[in-house]
Amino acid sequence: MAPQQEKSPVKPLLRVSNLSKTYREGESERRVLRGLNFEVNEGELVVLLGRSGSGKSTLLNLISGIDVATEGQIYFGDINLTDLSENDRTLFRRESIGIIFQSFNLIPTLTVAENMLLPMELTGRMSPAQQAKALSILEEVGLKDRQDTYPDRLSGGEQQRVALARALAHEPLLILADEPTGNLDSKTADQVMHILHRLIHVEKRTMLIATHDRDILDLADRIVSLQDGVLTEVDLESIANG
Amino acid sequence: MTTSLLRRSSLRYLIKHPLLMALSILGVALGVAVVVAIDLANTSANEAFRLSSEAVTGRATHYITGSRELLDERVYRTLRVDGGLRNAAPVIDGYVSVPSDPGRTLQIMGIDPLAEAPFRSFTGGLGSGFDLGQFISSNSTGILSVGTARGLGLAEGDRLLVRFEGNEKEVTLIGLVEADNEQTSRALENLLIVDIATAQRLLDLQGKLSRVELIIPDEPEGSRLLESIKSTLPDGVVLEQSGTKTETIAQMTRAFSLNLIALSFLALIVGMFLIYNTVTFSVVQRRPTIGRLRAIGVTRKEIFQLIMGEALLIGVLGTAIGLVAGIVLGQGLVQLVTQSINDLYYVVRVRSLDLSYWSLAKGIGLGIGATLFAALVPAREATAAPPSSVMRRSEDESRLKTLIPRLTIGAIGMAIAALVLLALPGNHILVSYVALLLIILAFASATPGAVILVARLARPVMGLMGGIVGRMAAQGTVTALSRTAVAIASLMIAISATIGVGVMVNSFRSTVEVWLEYTLQADIYVSPPGLVFRRNDSTIVPEVEAILRSHEGVTATYSVRTARVAANGRSSDLIVVEPGPQREAGTRFKEGSRVWDEFGKSNFILVSEPYSFKNDVHVEDDISIMTDQGERSFTVGGVYYDYGSDLGAIMMSRSTYETYFDDRGISGLSLYVEPGKDVDSVIRELRVRLEGQQEVLMRSNRSLREASLDVFDRTFTVTIVLRLLAVLVAFIGVLSALMALQLERSRELAVMRANGLTPRQVWKYVTMQTGLMGLMAGLFSIPLGLSLAYILIFVINKRSFGWTLQMEITPAILGQALVLAIVAALLAGIIPAWKMSRANPANALRNE
Repeated sequence: MAPQQEKSPVKPLLRVSNLSKTYREGESERRVLRGLNFEVNEGELVVLLGRSGSGKSTLLNLISGIDVATEGQIYFGDINLTDLSENDRTLFRRESIGIIFQSFNLIPTLTVAENMLLPMELTGRMSPAQQAKALSILEEVGLKDRQDTYPDRLSGGEQQRVALARALAHEPLLILADEPTGNLDSKTADQVMHILHRLIHVEKRTMLIATHDRDILDLADRIVSLQDGVLTEVDLESIANG
Repeated sequence: MTTSLLRRSSLRYLIKHPLLMALSILGVALGVAVVVAIDLANTSANEAFRLSSEAVTGRATHYITGSRELLDERVYRTLRVDGGLRNAAPVIDGYVSVPSDPGRTLQIMGIDPLAEAPFRSFTGGLGSGFDLGQFISSNSTGILSVGTARGLGLAEGDRLLVRFEGNEKEVTLIGLVEADNEQTSRALENLLIVDIATAQRLLDLQGKLSRVELIIPDEPEGSRLLESIKSTLPDGVVLEQSGTKTETIAQMTRAFSLNLIALSFLALIVGMFLIYNTVTFSVVQRRPTIGRLRAIGVTRKEIFQLIMGEALLIGVLGTAIGLVAGIVLGQGLVQLVTQSINDLYYVVRVRSLDLSYWSLAKGIGLGIGATLFAALVPAREATAAPPSSVMRRSEDESRLKTLIPRLTIGAIGMAIAALVLLALPGNHILVSYVALLLIILAFASATPGAVILVARLARPVMGLMGGIVGRMAAQGTVTALSRTAVAIASLMIAISATIGVGVMVNSFRSTVEVWLEYTLQADIYVSPPGLVFRRNDSTIVPEVEAILRSHEGVTATYSVRTARVAANGRSSDLIVVEPGPQREAGTRFKEGSRVWDEFGKSNFILVSEPYSFKNDVHVEDDISIMTDQGERSFTVGGVYYDYGSDLGAIMMSRSTYETYFDDRGISGLSLYVEPGKDVDSVIRELRVRLEGQQEVLMRSNRSLREASLDVFDRTFTVTIVLRLLAVLVAFIGVLSALMALQLERSRELAVMRANGLTPRQVWKYVTMQTGLMGLMAGLFSIPLGLSLAYILIFVINKRSFGWTLQMEITPAILGQALVLAIVAALLAGIIPAWKMSRANPANALRNE
């Protein structure tokens, strides 16, 4: 992956080119991302490492179309996300991207099952078969018996498992996870990551996880690091050794 | 389209906040109820008048009438016999009261049954079932509808006693007619059909007719016929198109109705602020949720639809309840409106509320429309921000703070626009109301800036009162400015409405009191009982007049005659007076000098201020009046202040009147009693002397003044009811706004509790904060309320009625407003304070 990656034989699902993001803070400007270039291939699990405030969330927001880049392009196959209108980016996001947030971000007025089914309903693909499949994911995350419960009755780990199921249910092209275990204790975080890993491998999904949790690194196909707005490839072996 | 899950989520949110939803619905409901009730009441009164008027007009295309809306019956004979006109029918109409059923007024309709058939369906068939010969030959027989007779407890053959101008007369019911449809049934209600001769006897109109009705064929024959009729008419008799009369009378109440409607809209506007507040609250509170939804792919349009959908639900429920409440309220208001119309304009009796579909449709449109309109801004706000920032509340607050300079400039712009509109020439009442609305919006826009300013001043004071909690409470109004400013603005508008209307009514009343003080100079006022308080054109019979004028102890008497005449082609009130020192002392002039020197001279008249204003007539202008000698031109010598009638009046000296009119009757007499003699004892003596004669009302100066003010107060009862309803809507608005604000801050309060704030201190915090907000609203409402009062008094009243009023600001009204604002705010804070102080902070600190 990443900036100076050799051309992969597999067609990249996501290609980011010369991506920059600058925030205006009063009179001054703060450049969070500086000309990033990288690719994510289909079926890959890429971990995005970086300290708090390094711009990981900003990058994920740009890739998901929640935020707009100051410069550069983001390609999903042949679609240039940066060319799309706000509305089209939203439609693209709900079709093709699943997001897992650090703070779960479940809808408090929907039950567990409804939270999970919402993206699917938004895409208009809620056939009985799809619905059954989605509910089977809920079973996989171990919350089938809590499907009629509201989020405020769940523990943090349970909420994150629902968020995870929600991100997977509508079979998106890419799953983005922003510090998915950041709000969880280590035991619960392990459980969540274990489920995530299993689901991704079974379903062969593509995923980009932003984290500074080094336990996740074992699951990664590739690791990139974001520091001072610049992205660098991290050698998996060096991680394993050190 | 929003998906079913989104809708479900939205619905659950509303259900989760039942109290706020209930208050919002109630706010819409009250606003709609007030508008619908006023509209139904106005419509019912107009409809009742239209039906009774159309019942009398029938299929006539034209009518002929005379100078004082009366004409010599020989005109009819000439037309019918000499001119060979077939489709012509004589009519006499008037009103009598029924001593056995006080409050009931019967409309007398005198007709010639032999000429009636082409004109009115219900009189055309007269003669079947009763003795037509007796109906024509006797001058004391009449016919009532079955329903009216039943209401009076009468049957065929019974005698009905009626009273006209204080004289009681008898009519024998020789037949009862049954209406065959609803329209006829309403037309016949309280209608006493009599022969022409009977009507002349009952209404003291010997030899006179009210009019001759005509059915003129279509062109070209019609024009020729009309020309030939006109050529045969004597002086002082005119030919008019049917409908002109009804239209003229309907115009009388136009300004009155419009002002009531405008005041009812005030309640709706306050209700709209309430909706705006509720929807803003729901958006602000759900900003994180909206952000989440946006992040998982819900489009802006879908969020917008979601928010608007919620508003629609509130609007529909509120409107539905409002319509029902409006109908119930309308039942009460129609009586008040009818009473005012009867006091001021004409006789009308409303049997029941007329449920006009149009009024209900307007209520539905306004209720739902106003709700959606009010929700538009917050709904747009919810969708405008990018999902990455929509989750952050602080951004919302800082955005508002950066907007303050623009809001303040906008406020100044709106105020200037309002002033320009108010300065526009012409009598556009609607433009004045738009200006009024702009002033309200200007104050609302300036509120956030004013809140920051006052909070800064209040902080040290509240610190002295409540220590850190007091300072925090003051600062809290600024940190949650996006919420507090809306709540304060809503309360300010509502309270200012009470100040505006209160000062207006007060100013009006005190102006009228002063006017009565100098106008009513005599000791005793005598007039026959009339059906319209402010327009009594009854006649005192000569025998009674002679007794009154010659009574021992009465040093001077001055007569007044009131008549309806056509002036410049419009039906107008003519007041005929005997000049004298009393008249000179009792009249103050807006225009004209050395008026009294000229007053007795021929062709010299005065006009009242409303007449001058409405007809754009001033000193030196000429007015053409239809007299018994034909149309004559009179010169306006002065414009005098008069608050007796918003329709205006023309004043003429008795000698001038007698030169041009054949009428020698008088409508009232004012008596001056010998100094030192007890006025009440003179009245008692006169009552004894007048026993068995025409019944007349004899009122001392004081009691007439009281009676006049009673009528004034009755007229403004509707206004006061509307004011109270606006206060109620406002109170509910403030209750929901402040409750929403405090409940929304449950997490913030929980953090305070976690940091050691005792439940008592939480109570103090919430109470001090809502109290400060109430105080701010009360203070801001004073300049706004006075601005509203100024516009109501000097622009809207002027443009509606043409009156010059003296603005009178009583400290009590301002004090009441301040107390009302603070009490409303404190009451609104009770539930949240209680809830917050009892809540377990752990629950509030948990994630949603």
